Amino acid sequence: MSHHPVHVEQPSDAEILPRLETPGVLSRVEELIRRYPVKRAALLQVLWLAQETLGWLPNVAIRWSAEKCEVSPVHAYGVSLFYTMYKKVPTGRFFLQICQNVSCHIQGAEAVIAHAEKVLGVDSHGGNTEDGLFTLLRVECLGACGNGPVLQVNDSFATDVVDGELAMPIGVGLDPERFDRIVEWCRRRAAELPEEPVRDALGDILVGTDGHPGATGASAEVQGSYAPPPPALAVTASNVEEGRTKVTWKAAPETTVLHLETRQGGGEFAEVASLSGKDKEWIGELPAGAEIRIVAETAGVRAKPSNIAKGIA
Amino acid sequence: MATLTVTQNFGKGARDLEVYRSLGGYGSISSRLFDLSQFELIDLVSRSGLRGRGGAGFPTGMKWSFVPRNSGKPVYLVVNADEGEPGTFKDHVLMQEDPHRLIEGMIVCGWALGVRTAYIYVRGEFLPAIETLNAALKQAYAAGLLGKNIGGSGYSLDIYVHRGAGAYICGEETALINSLEGFKGQPRLKPPFPAVSGAFASPTCVNNVETLMALPWILEHGPEAYQALGTPKSGGTKVFSVSGDVKRPGVYEVPMGTPLMELLESPELCQGIVGELKGVIPGGSSSPVLTAEEARKANLDYEALAALKTMLGSGAVVAFNTERSAVGMLTSLTRFYAHESCGQCTPCREGTGYADRIMKTIASGKGREGDLDHMLDLAANFSYTTICPLAIADAWPIENFIGKFRPEFEAEVAKNPDRGSPRVTKDFRPGAFW
Amino acid sequence: MSNSYNKPVLPKADSKKVSIVVDGADVEVPEGTNLVEALKTIGIDTPHFCYHQDLPVAGNCRQCMVETDGPRGMGLAIACYTPVRPGMKVATDRSSEKVKTARKAVMEFLLANHPLDCPICDKAGECTLQDNYMSSGKHESRMREEIGKQYKGAPEHRHLDAKGQDRGGKHIDLGPTVILDQERCILCDRCTRFMRDVAGDEQLYIAARGDHAFITTFPGQPLQHDYDLNVTDICPVGALTGKHFRFQQRVWLLSKTETIAPDDSLGANITVEHHDGHVWRIMPRRHPDVNKSWISNATRLLYQTLSENRLTGGSFRGADVPLADAVERARELVHGARKVALVASGHLTLEDNAALLALAESLGSRAEVFGGSWLAVGAPDGIARSGDPVANRLGCTLLGISDNLSDLVRRAKEFDCLVVAGHDLWAADAERAKSLSVIPERIALSAWHDATAQASTLAVGIRAWAEVRGSMINVQGRIQRLQAAPTAPTPDLEPAWQVISRLGHLGWTSEVDAFRFAQGRIPALSGLNYRTIGSQGRILEGVAP
Ligand SMILES: Cc1cc2nc3c(=O)[nH]c(=O)nc-3n(C[C@H](O)[C@H](O)[C@H](O)COP(=O)(O)O)c2cc1C
Ligand code: SF4
Ligand code: SF4
Ligand code: FES
Ligand code: FES
Repeated sequence: MSHHPVHVEQPSDAEILPRLETPGVLSRVEELIRRYPVKRAALLQVLWLAQETLGWLPNVAIRWSAEKCEVSPVHAYGVSLFYTMYKKVPTGRFFLQICQNVSCHIQGAEAVIAHAEKVLGVDSHGGNTEDGLFTLLRVECLGACGNGPVLQVNDSFATDVVDGELAMPIGVGLDPERFDRIVEWCRRRAAELPEEPVRDALGDILVGTDGHPGATGASAEVQGSYAPPPPALAVTASNVEEGRTKVTWKAAPETTVLHLETRQGGGEFAEVASLSGKDKEWIGELPAGAEIRIVAETAGVRAKPSNIAKGIA
Repeated sequence: MATLTVTQNFGKGARDLEVYRSLGGYGSISSRLFDLSQFELIDLVSRSGLRGRGGAGFPTGMKWSFVPRNSGKPVYLVVNADEGEPGTFKDHVLMQEDPHRLIEGMIVCGWALGVRTAYIYVRGEFLPAIETLNAALKQAYAAGLLGKNIGGSGYSLDIYVHRGAGAYICGEETALINSLEGFKGQPRLKPPFPAVSGAFASPTCVNNVETLMALPWILEHGPEAYQALGTPKSGGTKVFSVSGDVKRPGVYEVPMGTPLMELLESPELCQGIVGELKGVIPGGSSSPVLTAEEARKANLDYEALAALKTMLGSGAVVAFNTERSAVGMLTSLTRFYAHESCGQCTPCREGTGYADRIMKTIASGKGREGDLDHMLDLAANFSYTTICPLAIADAWPIENFIGKFRPEFEAEVAKNPDRGSPRVTKDFRPGAFW
Repeated sequence: MSNSYNKPVLPKADSKKVSIVVDGADVEVPEGTNLVEALKTIGIDTPHFCYHQDLPVAGNCRQCMVETDGPRGMGLAIACYTPVRPGMKVATDRSSEKVKTARKAVMEFLLANHPLDCPICDKAGECTLQDNYMSSGKHESRMREEIGKQYKGAPEHRHLDAKGQDRGGKHIDLGPTVILDQERCILCDRCTRFMRDVAGDEQLYIAARGDHAFITTFPGQPLQHDYDLNVTDICPVGALTGKHFRFQQRVWLLSKTETIAPDDSLGANITVEHHDGHVWRIMPRRHPDVNKSWISNATRLLYQTLSENRLTGGSFRGADVPLADAVERARELVHGARKVALVASGHLTLEDNAALLALAESLGSRAEVFGGSWLAVGAPDGIARSGDPVANRLGCTLLGISDNLSDLVRRAKEFDCLVVAGHDLWAADAERAKSLSVIPERIALSAWHDATAQASTLAVGIRAWAEVRGSMINVQGRIQRLQAAPTAPTPDLEPAWQVISRLGHLGWTSEVDAFRFAQGRIPALSGLNYRTIGSQGRILEGVAP
């Protein structure tokens, strides 16, 4: 929650690991890892998942994430402290973060923060209310500056309560009354729901992808194996002299071979010449009125044919 | 009403695929895109004059042309949705309002560069936007717009959302890549540049959300039409995040070259200043602040703002009135940059923190004579000596706020009755004792 | 991490030269390398913290700034990551005010949050921070109390000092060998790069960020690795210090003797550092093709044995005798014997073994030489050890000494006198060594009261490896030099070759005589002498297995 680390008593492995080693969590870890060519890249997401599961990130969970992503424990630890959103200490049920950065500052963030401190009776550097409901933290820009001063209640932006729901109406910033309404909303919710429902820390998982093509054992596909090769374009034909036609075109730099094809009277196209991918034009004899096209080939794969140019009669 | 190229679907419920389609969405995919060869597409984007909307304003077509083909490695597209520059919130709104346009833009870019796997790196605080994106991705997969063999073209693309976890510096593209790879988000030494060796040591294109979202319009209407919307050197339109003392803050798309005051005062846009204008930060917190007088002369394009020794940056306009204290604003900014320094380079790591502590000392009424010059000296010393521009992003506000509003700062120092007493220099230095 | 593929390109003896302009003067420097190295070749030292020849480039300390020419004119760049380009212009602090200011600024930034520990810091005297502070121009401190310092430290080590200032982590017991002072750390990332890229076991990491970042192990986990003491060498400040050397000796008092490690056949290059006849520590000595800048903890701690359990005189049938008497007695025994078994040793120099061969020669058919070792051979670790504990094994082989200790065991009864030189057979394999006890007169030349000395009838003290001059041939076929530190526990102890020379009336007066004898046996040594072997040794053509 801040990279100014705080020291807390750490729970034991036995308290934490059983909550992480569940089929549900493990299958999500597997899905996350599949998104990247190396397991390490899933680290931030796996830490999120652990935090979602436990509500915060004790050292045991960091070590567990490190094992899953095949990084050293101290790497995961250092990473978890670099980012401010990993909670190295448990927070209250409603984690209130108020932006104190410049746009919010000039719209009165300090006054709202002071009000919040007074109402909740805690400091704004991570203070917790005794009932365990609230943690108050001043933070830097939350990326909603048009609604300054901005508040986040857990992961929801909120500058007011509208129709019984937290909301951030366009152009509406936090002020003491709105803050009070939000606090009241939280209290009401606490009275109605015994526990805060878990919100997916990664915004739901995706279905329909097989993961990164290089993940978990497969070799990373290189460019070209999945995107069709670029076709030749803008084929034109012109008469240079009696009976000789000049054909020009554009081809992508990676093209290796160009097949010049013609047909007559609606028949099949037949190859007339095979040219280097670097060639820029071709001059030769073509039957009058022939239709001309070029099929570009890159590294052995043929692209779809170019436009069809009419030979000069 | 000016032509909108990015925000035209706002408020129309375009999060839903069907709505997006009914508004003409994914038109490029069903019509022109796959007929264009990859190099033609890059050429088309170059001609549109589109420049990166993430802050640096690098010509997008040129960036794409640096990505090597057939390097033997996969090519990655990483969307920079780490929007963290104070004052900036346009990408946030763009993703919430029109996620499919981003996906469409990514397919365009993916096709141009031969990308098989793309990531959207979204800042951790934007969980609601991540939910929106994932819902949109699900729809797109279901409709065959993503995954294997998109629309029968033979082209395959997978997109994943990667949630950041709270670090402004991850907006810097190489830090973003490090963060994507599971490291601390610390910028890398360059070269190699990401286009050649980025994510997973493979060619990588990093583009801002807004940059990519401009692509569908460009494909539909042609590059010349897009270019013509702006100025000759800054083509197209730009989405601005406006906050601070304006009547109606929010996200507005205007043609490049629009006068700054028109954005702030037009009844269709921000509807005017609350109070009397004192100054404007035109391009995000790191861009040099403009006084009201300068703001009145400013046009919103890369060149015009550069001429005023500031920049368009991320297009985050923060207007403030005469009731706002420059000291308070700068204190807020120096605190931010000290908080966000990745801690790699000595000058930035120790310098931004040092500057922050001096600012806090001044703001708490304990400033002394010489502190302001000391601040300026520090700022000069951590400019241009670091790996990434974050340190300069701190130096510019320091230099410009103190430079343009100096009397205010001096008045703050004057509040300290002991301001003239000598510095404590008991501090001794290594080597002094032997 | 990210830049771990950015290994520095170092200049080689045969690097192509290109010309560049440094401070306005045309100079020739090796192509392809970085500017720190290039400038070094023309005698310009660039101050730096994070750059290290044998680690990937991190480029984070920003101390090595120079100006170079680019598309927008001269501009600041870090020398450690800027490659030499033919024709490039470079300005150092000698010609550029900008460079001077930038370097000074880095110093000021580093010191802004550094504790004032020098008087109690073990690194004082060899601290890069001190050195660079002196060289980049001292500055007046502009610090004042209200502004305060941000000390580095992990949450579990933070504390308030007597003045109420928030302090970081001090003297943290990091593991069996290393003590950490987090406040002194300047976050250069060298130790973490060493652990990750050289040791291959990432146990250290810089956690958190900004000026709150700190160096740490995983909470509660020790730093523990066979090579972890190397981090104390490369740490530019007193953040990481070896427990073995803490508060032992001020470094500026130490004299240095360049030699090689005797405990492994790679022959890691080291420096023995001594003062007042006592060895205080062993440090790695860089050799690009042998041990780079690294030595194992075991090698580093060898110095401790130099003052332990030494055999400083002689002992005959359990009773101490003066050294001279012991040597005389040994001579008599050897010459009075019917059949003498001489056991050579790969732990001794070529010179010592040459002496043994010369002794055998002088005794004619009455003597027979045995060689080899009973110690187990491991695998190379890719850092600074080959895994073979017999340092001069190849040297012995080249001298023609066979690997035939087992023959000796089998034929022990044939001999009535055994001479074992610098070879602790009884410690290596007591079971097998026991069968040698049938030989009635067993003479051990040894630097220590070791098991062999104890099992012998006559033990004669000799100098230990750090106290002798000579040479060994490492597993790569490289002949390397040992030099003598003036630290023998008593002045009358002699090197093994000299004692053996007395036994055989060889009349050798210096190592050079012994080396000449070795040259007679090993053609590849012809033309060499100690000077030409030099401090980096010489590869012998065609001898590596
Ligand atoms: C300190 C710093 C922060 C940045 N933050 C962002 C950001 O939040 N979003 C963004 O798109 N670009 C950001 N950038 C710019 C990126 O490095 C990069 O130029 C951009 O993502 C490229 O995309 P574009 O060409 O489409 O603009 C930042 C740069 C720096 C130096
Ligand atoms: S300038 Fe600051 S943020 Fe950028 S790499 Fe250096 S320390 Fe990190
Ligand atoms: S402990 Fe020493 S080597 Fe490691 S990062 Fe700190 S200063 Fe550098
Ligand atoms: S400044 Fe508060 S949300 Fe951006
Ligand atoms: S030595 Fe070059 S940046 Fe540290």
